[in-house]
Amino acid sequence: MLRHHARLHRVALVPLALGLALFEWLMTFVAGEPMVSRFLSEALRAAPPQFLALLNQDLLVGVSARGIVGVGYAHPFSLIMMAVWSVRVPCGALAGEIGRGTMDLMAARPVSRSSQVAAAALALFAGLGVLAASAWLGTAVGLVMRPLPEVSAFRYLPVAAALWLVFACFGAVALLVSSLASDAGTAIAWIAGLLAGSYVLDYVARVWTRLASLRPASLFSYYEPQRVVEAGLGRHDAAVLAAVGAAALALAFAVFGRRDL
Amino acid sequence: MDAPPIQARGLGKRYGAVVALKDLSLDVVQGEVFGFLGPNGAGKTTTIRLLLGLIRPDGGEVKVLGRVPFGLGVAARADIGYLPGDMTFWPKLSGAETLEFFAQLTGRPPVARERLLARLGLGAAELARHVRTYSDGMKQKLGLVQALQCEPKLALLDEPTKGLDPLVQQAFYEIVADLRNAGATVFLSSHVLPEVERTCDRVAMLRSGTVVSLGDVETLRRAERRRVIADFNADVDTTALGHFGEVSVARPRHVELLVAQAALPALVARLGMLPLEDVVVERPTLEEAFLEHYR
Repeated sequence: MLRHHARLHRVALVPLALGLALFEWLMTFVAGEPMVSRFLSEALRAAPPQFLALLNQDLLVGVSARGIVGVGYAHPFSLIMMAVWSVRVPCGALAGEIGRGTMDLMAARPVSRSSQVAAAALALFAGLGVLAASAWLGTAVGLVMRPLPEVSAFRYLPVAAALWLVFACFGAVALLVSSLASDAGTAIAWIAGLLAGSYVLDYVARVWTRLASLRPASLFSYYEPQRVVEAGLGRHDAAVLAAVGAAALALAFAVFGRRDL
Repeated sequence: MDAPPIQARGLGKRYGAVVALKDLSLDVVQGEVFGFLGPNGAGKTTTIRLLLGLIRPDGGEVKVLGRVPFGLGVAARADIGYLPGDMTFWPKLSGAETLEFFAQLTGRPPVARERLLARLGLGAAELARHVRTYSDGMKQKLGLVQALQCEPKLALLDEPTKGLDPLVQQAFYEIVADLRNAGATVFLSSHVLPEVERTCDRVAMLRSGTVVSLGDVETLRRAERRRVIADFNADVDTTALGHFGEVSVARPRHVELLVAQAALPALVARLGMLPLEDVVVERPTLEEAFLEHYR
């Protein structure tokens, strides 16, 4: 089953991984340009706090070269690249196969439903691992080609791990949605809405203090790359993301094992 | 001794307010070809999906190859070949990749693959192509090969000849005969009555989720009324023959009527008293039996 998922999705993984690597590589060059740093510094000082909140950016960290490289991991481009995989694989694996009619052919074989969910989860996590590793490799190669003072590629390993963790969590939720749906379109619509809603909630709760108490409801609130660059992967954030992901995965196993196909 | 391939008792399935299957009980014995007949929406596909454990029954119980299909029967599925009614594959996989994938999932070597491919006329060139370039007939052939390539003990075939040309249909009948000779059990649903009449040992007729008739093809035919056509060389009151059966055509020198088998001797005796020129007694085809059930 795992080979089956690899065959269906490997072509999509290549451009996503290359795109992420190239983007993070470019960020190291942007960070190394004094003109850029100065420009960003001025721009960020003048920017309204709402704009900084959108960047998930701490002003003091952001204007340093280390911070600019870190921005690459919170940038919508990187988030979209990761989101594509965490929606595509789970929604295609269960709901997509049901909608296409091929699930009947597979489920009529001596393949348990739990192994179908497990294969989809493994394909999801492995692909996200490749993408997070590609992003870090882009950073590492960029820093080797153009070393920046006080910026070590190893500082971004926990950031790549946090990037993997937040999208693994979203992917597990997508797997749960997919285990309930009967076609890929419905599952994609739900999980895309959930991703966008989570992102917007995190942003709005940052800039509007009356909604600040709702921020923990967004999974994106547990992903702060700037903080991870400075202090490493936070235990609380990692625990919340891991717990939500594990719960969603367990529910996906339970739901898919009992439903009519 | 092996468990009977299919045992169902009081099987029922509802989709919301719709009763898809009601109190279905049947036994399919090893080595027989069992036909499942019924109009669209009668519950044929629901039955096959229940047998595979793709859906869970609301009532009753079912065992396939001695195991409960839903949840517990994963291992038994290695001995089942399944052809769905609507054949869809992954468009970007080639035919060869598709067959190999299903053989791997089944976990048994595809010992019958080459023989089936040759019989159904799927060559290496076709198998190398992506499935998205296949016609409906080619997809159906590929579906038959994937279902039967690992020599299953039980083949569940939903509308197996849909989209096949007459030559390939003939090849399919030979394949079914070979399966029966090899001791495999075939459960097939079909709308094509001559096909069922030709290939099946026993037939169940389904209407609105309920079995309305079950037996061997010959018994079902025998249970149905005979068509009697009589010609006379002088005018007679043909309507007077109405008490023997249902008169469908009544002219002074020609009559056609449907008569129960038990009433035949009396009718023939009565006709012998009339100026009879010719008489024909037709056995009903399965199609007539089928139509009589669904009128």
